[in-house]
Amino acid sequence: MLTHIGIEPERLQFSWISSAESTKFIDVVTEVVEAVRKVGPNTRLVKNMVREP
Amino acid sequence: MHTYIDKIREIASRLLKEEAVEMVIGYQEGTLPMISPPMSVRSAEDVEKLTWSSHCCINLANYLTDIKGKVAVFAKGCDCRSIVNHIAEGKVKREDVVIIGVPCNGMMERRTISNIFGDEIEEVVEEADGTVIVRGKGREEKYQKSDLLRQCCRVCVHKNPVLYDELVADPVAIPEDIQRYKEVEKIEAREIDKRWKFFENLISTCIRCYACRDACPTCYCPTCFVDEAQPQWVGKGDDEPDVMTFHILRAFHTAGRCTDCGACVSACPMGINMRAFTKKLEKDCLDLWDWEAGLTSDMRPALETFTPSDPEDNFK
Amino acid sequence: MSDWEPKIVAFLCNSCSYGAADLAGVGRMQYPANIRIIRIPCAGRMSPKFVLSALREGADGVWVSG
Repeated sequence: MLTHIGIEPERLQFSWISSAESTKFIDVVTEVVEAVRKVGPNTRLVKNMVREP
Repeated sequence: MHTYIDKIREIASRLLKEEAVEMVIGYQEGTLPMISPPMSVRSAEDVEKLTWSSHCCINLANYLTDIKGKVAVFAKGCDCRSIVNHIAEGKVKREDVVIIGVPCNGMMERRTISNIFGDEIEEVVEEADGTVIVRGKGREEKYQKSDLLRQCCRVCVHKNPVLYDELVADPVAIPEDIQRYKEVEKIEAREIDKRWKFFENLISTCIRCYACRDACPTCYCPTCFVDEAQPQWVGKGDDEPDVMTFHILRAFHTAGRCTDCGACVSACPMGINMRAFTKKLEKDCLDLWDWEAGLTSDMRPALETFTPSDPEDNFK
Repeated sequence: MSDWEPKIVAFLCNSCSYGAADLAGVGRMQYPANIRIIRIPCAGRMSPKFVLSALREGADGVWVSG
């Protein structure tokens, strides 16, 4: 739905990790952070956004 | 005069005389042309006020939630699916409501008529053969009803009531060549930035009057998320992020429940086509879970059930 | 803008991912510091409101994990 209206799919991620899988946790955190880093700062749906000149 | 009207009055007066119901909910002639407001009739003398036209855009299922006593209601195909939804969600008991099904050939969009005609409209008359005569400012124009239909009625494949106690007329034929999701596919085909621009533009005129919420039969929460103050999830102003949040959440609440009756669009004073949000969810429910709202009250809705075969492509 | 770091709000289920995060901490494992964790009792507590309000308050990403 969010993707349909134009929010980048990388911005909202879901995953399933068991409490014993700390290595998977690390992997997914890194993956999510890298994916968001790639799409850049969020400009959509942000309240009171200070726009860069 | 519409061919259904006599039959509608006859059924309403019979049910009231027999005291089978306390109240009949139907449509009345509005004070303005092209708008048929809802009305409730409690005595058989008043049934003459009931009417039917191609402007009965409001979804009467909206008035059934938590209703007391036994009532009869006139329901088009989409309204009927909303009632089935209410039954499935426990908002109305099947035995408390007499559903009078009205096979529907689509309702007309009053904005389209106004735009084509140009001048102020005094009267709109429908002929049985599908011709619509529009009068105003001393002139008269003839149109075809099929050219004036609401967008949701053009792509409707459930024109006939799915659950009813009585039918006003024989079921109508459903064209086979309907492309139900043409509008959605058009948006889907665009790039992500273009889609954002499209939706930004779509809601830019929204004044947050909540008419779409009030007209929607699926919106019956005691406290709507937009009225919540502690915590306040959605800002109350007309800032774009707040308006967009309202529309996203409103649409999301109708996921798997929306019957595409178009009441929201008809109620909107600004003419916003918020079906662009809900139609996508309807398509997704059909694609992902093979679910269509309001066709049966025996199955639980798509977002309420879980099966191991549910798609989980977006999970890591 | 080169020093921009993404801010990600992570909604973690108390008994699953939050436990995994805890275990990662106990094990002294390294992971990016871009996530701000919010513990929820269960991923079923998640609501679309939370996602939208996180984005509204300026998050660059939202991550929900059960």
